[in-house]
Amino acid sequence: MTDEITRKESPTTESKHATSSALETDRRTLLKGAAAAGGLIAGFTGPVYLRDFNYTQSVRAQTSEPVKIGFIEDESGNLAVYGIQKLHAAQLAIKEINEGKTLKGAPNIGAGFHASSGEIANTPPVISKEGSNLDIVGDPGERHQSELLYEEVSDILVDSNDRGILGREVRLVSADGQSNNTVWQQLARRMIQQDKVDVLVAGFASAEREAIRPIVDQAKQLYFYTNQYEGGVADANTFCTGPVCEQQVIPTVQYMVEKFGPRCYTIAADYNFGQLTAAWTKAFIPLVGGEIVGEEFIPLSVSEFSQVIQRIQAAKPDWVMTLLVGSNHHNYYPQAAAAGLRLPMASTVNMAQGYEHKRFPAPSLANMHNAIQYQMEVPTARNRAFVKRWMEMFPEDQYIGEMAQNTYFTIHLYAKAARLAGTTDQETVKKALELGWNIEAPEGSVFLEPGTHHCAHPIRLAVCDENHDVSFVRDWPVVQAWWLQRLGVNLIRHPEYKQYTPAEDPYFNMFVKT
Amino acid sequence: MEGVAVLFSVVYQLATNASFLLLAGLGLIVILGMMNIINLAHGELMMLGAYTATILYHRGVPFPLTVVAAFVVVALAGAVLERLIVRRFYGERLGALVVTWGISLVLSQGTLMLLGPFMPSIPIPSGSVSIGQYSFSVYWLILTAVTALLIVALGLLYNWTTIGLYARATMQKPDIARALGVNTDRIYLLTFSLGAGLAGLSGALLAPTVSIAPFMGQQFIAPAFITVVVGGATNVIAGALGASALLSFVKTPVGFLLGAFLGNVALLFAALIIIRLMPDGISATFQRWQDRRSRLA
Repeated sequence: MTDEITRKESPTTESKHATSSALETDRRTLLKGAAAAGGLIAGFTGPVYLRDFNYTQSVRAQTSEPVKIGFIEDESGNLAVYGIQKLHAAQLAIKEINEGKTLKGAPNIGAGFHASSGEIANTPPVISKEGSNLDIVGDPGERHQSELLYEEVSDILVDSNDRGILGREVRLVSADGQSNNTVWQQLARRMIQQDKVDVLVAGFASAEREAIRPIVDQAKQLYFYTNQYEGGVADANTFCTGPVCEQQVIPTVQYMVEKFGPRCYTIAADYNFGQLTAAWTKAFIPLVGGEIVGEEFIPLSVSEFSQVIQRIQAAKPDWVMTLLVGSNHHNYYPQAAAAGLRLPMASTVNMAQGYEHKRFPAPSLANMHNAIQYQMEVPTARNRAFVKRWMEMFPEDQYIGEMAQNTYFTIHLYAKAARLAGTTDQETVKKALELGWNIEAPEGSVFLEPGTHHCAHPIRLAVCDENHDVSFVRDWPVVQAWWLQRLGVNLIRHPEYKQYTPAEDPYFNMFVKT
Repeated sequence: MEGVAVLFSVVYQLATNASFLLLAGLGLIVILGMMNIINLAHGELMMLGAYTATILYHRGVPFPLTVVAAFVVVALAGAVLERLIVRRFYGERLGALVVTWGISLVLSQGTLMLLGPFMPSIPIPSGSVSIGQYSFSVYWLILTAVTALLIVALGLLYNWTTIGLYARATMQKPDIARALGVNTDRIYLLTFSLGAGLAGLSGALLAPTVSIAPFMGQQFIAPAFITVVVGGATNVIAGALGASALLSFVKTPVGFLLGAFLGNVALLFAALIIIRLMPDGISATFQRWQDRRSRLA
């Protein structure tokens, strides 16, 4: 295949695909805005919107060489429990991309609608006669509490009409960060300068992300951070595809205060993630009538919790917020259970990421609550299909956590954006991503908000029972990552390279009783 | 009742903190305190013990037996290490430091390659008792008792048996011990295996309370060295006992009032001050004080 053909073919095939999927969307959804959006997408027949893209340069760069996805995660050390899942997610996504598959989804070009590939139910839902609630009886007769008129699509993996990305094979360039920030920096430099990766997907702990972000910015490297985190990163080169505090802390705290009472004791990992998530908890809890009766930050090296448990019992809380990170900290759960501490627990990380409910004997995690965006038990057909595909590739795996799923859809999202851009040139792909994207992930519809580079996610409240079975007791179809918008961040108009902290927003001490 | 509960809680916290320090330092008491080898592979020997116990436990062996098995397996591993590597470095403190660090890397990375990054943990045996608003893990109460028994047994072995006498002689004056017919080579081998075995034993005892992973040993290294070094080599067992009690008395109230982070800071700060004031450790200072008193009397 010559360069000439590549240039002519790839934008046209891609735009045909985009147009047809937009038209399908138009037929299937009840959204009035879809026609307008379809029109906008149809505008891509020639690269009109993307006319700033430097095609001569990008075509010169286009060869049959593989597209390199740089990938750093912790495959050993304290954080390996997360890193290995993420590695497998990347391997699965890349295998699918190379086999000509993609996730449903399309750029929204600012139209901002969600669920682009929802389908209308075959028969209209009926409101049940018994009960005063809005019970909606679906097609096979099961009852929902949801007023969505879409039917859940059975699988979200469709043909991409492409092999790899733009006909080029996708290759994973992966390295083990060994849970060590210095190693992370060395690896990031090596991937950017030596391997010249087309995109970098990396980072579990916030400390790791902050360690490599200056290196990423120096090289203007396109970088995806796929983890759930404390929020606030406003960086023109970084796209954060995991959920943040405002999407998880607020639903969790509200539920816990309503259900178990106002007194909360927070134990959190002593680094930026734990500190800032605890600050969110503290700032929000007065709004729902709760209070923090104790707050404790625990160094990542601590694994012996007898004393912490005694302190919690002395404070007599109604429930405990556990923001614990790493295998050392996870010992808290069996130790607390063995010491007879049976308080309800809430978290934004535990269970969904380190699958403590599968690793520790019941009932260590009994009564754990987490407003998750994904964990393996999410009860939808598309997720079951995803889990099945995963387990076929990695039959030994015990669990698929939140950040593994994020890594999976993020790599598919990158592939879609690069196909639309017609190149893997990093600046062009960043522009293509900044159209705003809707992608159908196993968790549900995810919307990449272009101005802040963060994602709106569906959020579900997961509860773990005595036998470590998980059920979902509340459901928020779309929760925006609104905090950076509130601070006036718009990376397209005003590029920035910093992380905002709650100290920069007066909201955080507005309601705190001193 | 409230008063009793608080009192018991305080005693429980003191006891768990002290016995954690002692368990972490148990094998090092022998290898560093008696043999004067800076053993940086101590954490990995504990890790081997924890792995042995975990693997056997999941094959259906009762937990107490797995602890015994961990002692035997790690003692044998220690014997192999001593024969092949460590014995070439007796008397070379820095050489031993580097070589044991190398052993620790090989053991942890080797475990990672052979057995993967984690293992399912052992459930914590026995339940809890509650007094007032506080509740306590029975397993930690048992651990405290077992630690006390192990320390007493080690003290008896070291001070009251012929092997203990030979060991002390060999460590103090190897030439003279050899001249008196002690097989010092064998004594070195036995002492190092005993130290390794004790590290494995305490690793197995702590296994239910920690995550089982190749790098788990690192969390024990700092507490182990602090306990043994603060205790000093003059009378290593009494020293370690005194050090763990003293450090626990500093860490427990600070940790309870101000949190785990400041509790650790207080522990390290106390160790710093003690080593500054008593460079040979608590036991040496105690010994001097006792000597002076006996001279006066």
